[in-house]
Amino acid sequence: MNGLREHLSLSLRLHFRNTLALLYGYLFPLIFLVAFWVLYRHEKVPLLRHMGELLTVAVLGGACFGLPTTMVSERERGVWRRYRLTPMPTWLFVTSTVLARYLIVLSAGVLQLSVALAVGMTFPAHPFDLWVAFTLVAFAFIGLGLVIATMADNVPAVQALGQCIFLPMLIIGGVAVQLASLPGWAQRLSAYFPGRYAVEAIQGAVTGGGLAAHGFSLLALALIGVAGCYAGAKLFRWDGAQRFRSRGGKFWLVPAVAAWLAVGLMADWRTRTVAEAEAPFAVVAPAVGAPPWMKIMAKDVAALNFRLPSDGGVVSPYAAADDEATDYTREEVESVRRELPAWKPGLTGDDLQRVRALLCVAAVPDAIQLPVERYLPAVVLQHLEDTYPKDKLIKILTYIVLHPDDGTVVDTIEGLGVQGTAGDPWVVRERSYLYALKFILRVTGRVPR
Amino acid sequence: MADSVVVRDLTKSYGSTTAVRGVSFTIGTGEIFGLLGPNGAGKTSTLECLIGLREPDGGEVSVAGLDARRSARKVKQKIGVALQSTALQDKITPREALRLFGSFYPLRAEPAELLARFALTDKADAAFDTLSGGQRQRLALALAFVNRPELVVLDEPTTGLDPQARRELHDEILRMKRDGTTVLLTTHDLAEAEQLCDRIAIMDRGRIVATGTPAELGARADRHPVVSLVTSRALDAAALAALAGVTEVRCEGVSASFRCADPTRTLAALLPLLVAHGAEIVELHVRATSLEEMFLELTRTAPLAENRL
Repeated sequence: MNGLREHLSLSLRLHFRNTLALLYGYLFPLIFLVAFWVLYRHEKVPLLRHMGELLTVAVLGGACFGLPTTMVSERERGVWRRYRLTPMPTWLFVTSTVLARYLIVLSAGVLQLSVALAVGMTFPAHPFDLWVAFTLVAFAFIGLGLVIATMADNVPAVQALGQCIFLPMLIIGGVAVQLASLPGWAQRLSAYFPGRYAVEAIQGAVTGGGLAAHGFSLLALALIGVAGCYAGAKLFRWDGAQRFRSRGGKFWLVPAVAAWLAVGLMADWRTRTVAEAEAPFAVVAPAVGAPPWMKIMAKDVAALNFRLPSDGGVVSPYAAADDEATDYTREEVESVRRELPAWKPGLTGDDLQRVRALLCVAAVPDAIQLPVERYLPAVVLQHLEDTYPKDKLIKILTYIVLHPDDGTVVDTIEGLGVQGTAGDPWVVRERSYLYALKFILRVTGRVPR
Repeated sequence: MADSVVVRDLTKSYGSTTAVRGVSFTIGTGEIFGLLGPNGAGKTSTLECLIGLREPDGGEVSVAGLDARRSARKVKQKIGVALQSTALQDKITPREALRLFGSFYPLRAEPAELLARFALTDKADAAFDTLSGGQRQRLALALAFVNRPELVVLDEPTTGLDPQARRELHDEILRMKRDGTTVLLTTHDLAEAEQLCDRIAIMDRGRIVATGTPAELGARADRHPVVSLVTSRALDAAALAALAGVTEVRCEGVSASFRCADPTRTLAALLPLLVAHGAEIVELHVRATSLEEMFLELTRTAPLAENRL
């Protein structure tokens, strides 16, 4: 154990002497954090809804690039050949390397969390669950890093292999781009990538009800981690010149690939089963008594905080009058305009709930960043103005702004001919709140149409 | 003298290529044993099977009385190795490297002791990437001694070193012998082997083709001594060839060389010839067949009938 302790301690010390490793391990995750902070600066609690993505990126970089780069670079130099000359068993060096990497990514995660807390994020809802989720995520990605280290003959090959995994995971794997904004085929494909489960498990511990609701994600991560470590151990090479023991040697990759496939297939089956069991839309009963929005006074409207994101930005965009829909989006805009008067959620419940649902027609495409997002707010506002008198509409919108968490929201407008599901109701509520304010500005004439 | 290393009928193949074909040799305790051969002769494969980097296909290897295949971990505790191609991490210091590798052995030398012995005390806390070639090689040697080994294996230890560092390393290897350590050395440098080794084995195409002391190997060659001379005027090759017992005459300007069975008689006959030509001797050398000539003779003749590594 003395050897394990010395090797672990030295691995950590050498990591902190390597400028490039520090840049990749700590600075890059912080750059992601700052980018998310700026991009989503209008959210009520900064970064809280994005810790799943941010922590996953930190682990992914450290495990899929940092770990194999270190291992392959040492193997190229002959350091591992030297280790092999000692009486210590292979598992001691691999265990120590894996432990060191876990501590490194854990420290990067703690740094990210600390910076997020410093800029105003609230403390995670379930800290212990967060540690458990983070550890499983690290385990899954470190297994993947071990496989990359055994497959790559040199450091450039690590970069190439790592990018092959890193980029798809970021773009269609649910790590950097929200799943809800992806087309259906990409969402299905994301079920085959561990990144999706990493984000779900970590986010569940930060803002959700803890890990209880994310059993499948934890199982998927554990399975992918076990398969990666197993394949990594079987494919292990002490020496860069040492080829796989036999032509069939590379078949030890099969367990690693099989785990990803198995998880994806299970998720696919599970999604279909759950979708069939759930009701398509929850009908809200009308409220009894005087509607609460009637109590809204002019002073309440005047007191609203109209500090809003730019109409030309990423969050709650709103097309200018002379910005016509493109050929690509025109069909969707016309479909919404045509279907909106008969859209069931817009006709269900009391006026408050109906307006809230109609706001979602603007909010959902924004939440998932569909190309049509900036054209729909005007269509929705036109429909609202056609349906409600001006004063009533202003009061209802003001009430919704003051009570953003009331009622229910819809997370899809597929019934209007626009594909995509927002997944996270928090985002839909937040964007509905922003559009309600933008509608008030226009209805009251504070902003020209 | 008891044998520290016994290798019998060692074989090793890579796919259809046979690198080592029934190699056998022994190394006595406290002996410096050199393994020589051209590139691809099988030296490295033999060495790697002995130190546990590769699993032999057949044969026996024993070190300090232990079967190296069955008791690999115990054998590794008794061997210290300095590989030619081993580097360390850029930012590791000699002190840290010695402490790390020492922690892998139950019996180990103190880092400070090794740093002093290999003249690295001043560089004890310097990063590996700031060390010179000689300092790195001394660190590799220090690492080979970290477990107080009974057998030290040095794979081409002086490759790439400047003359000063090379000389220091030779002194250190001779010191190992004085301390009673058994040394197995591979080298391309025949002069180095001649200077350092008690015995030498010459390998070619996976087999040992000759074993003995440097003097024995040189004497074994069935070749006559070489006379080489430089004169004030060029000599006639035909006149030299006409001298009794002279063969392989080569003349190039004022330089000439030839082989002869009896140098004393031939030189006695040469002097009147020089006087007759009006030539004076500027340089004259007589030398027996060298290890290098022996090596070349053993390793260059046969055609490449079989695969080489």
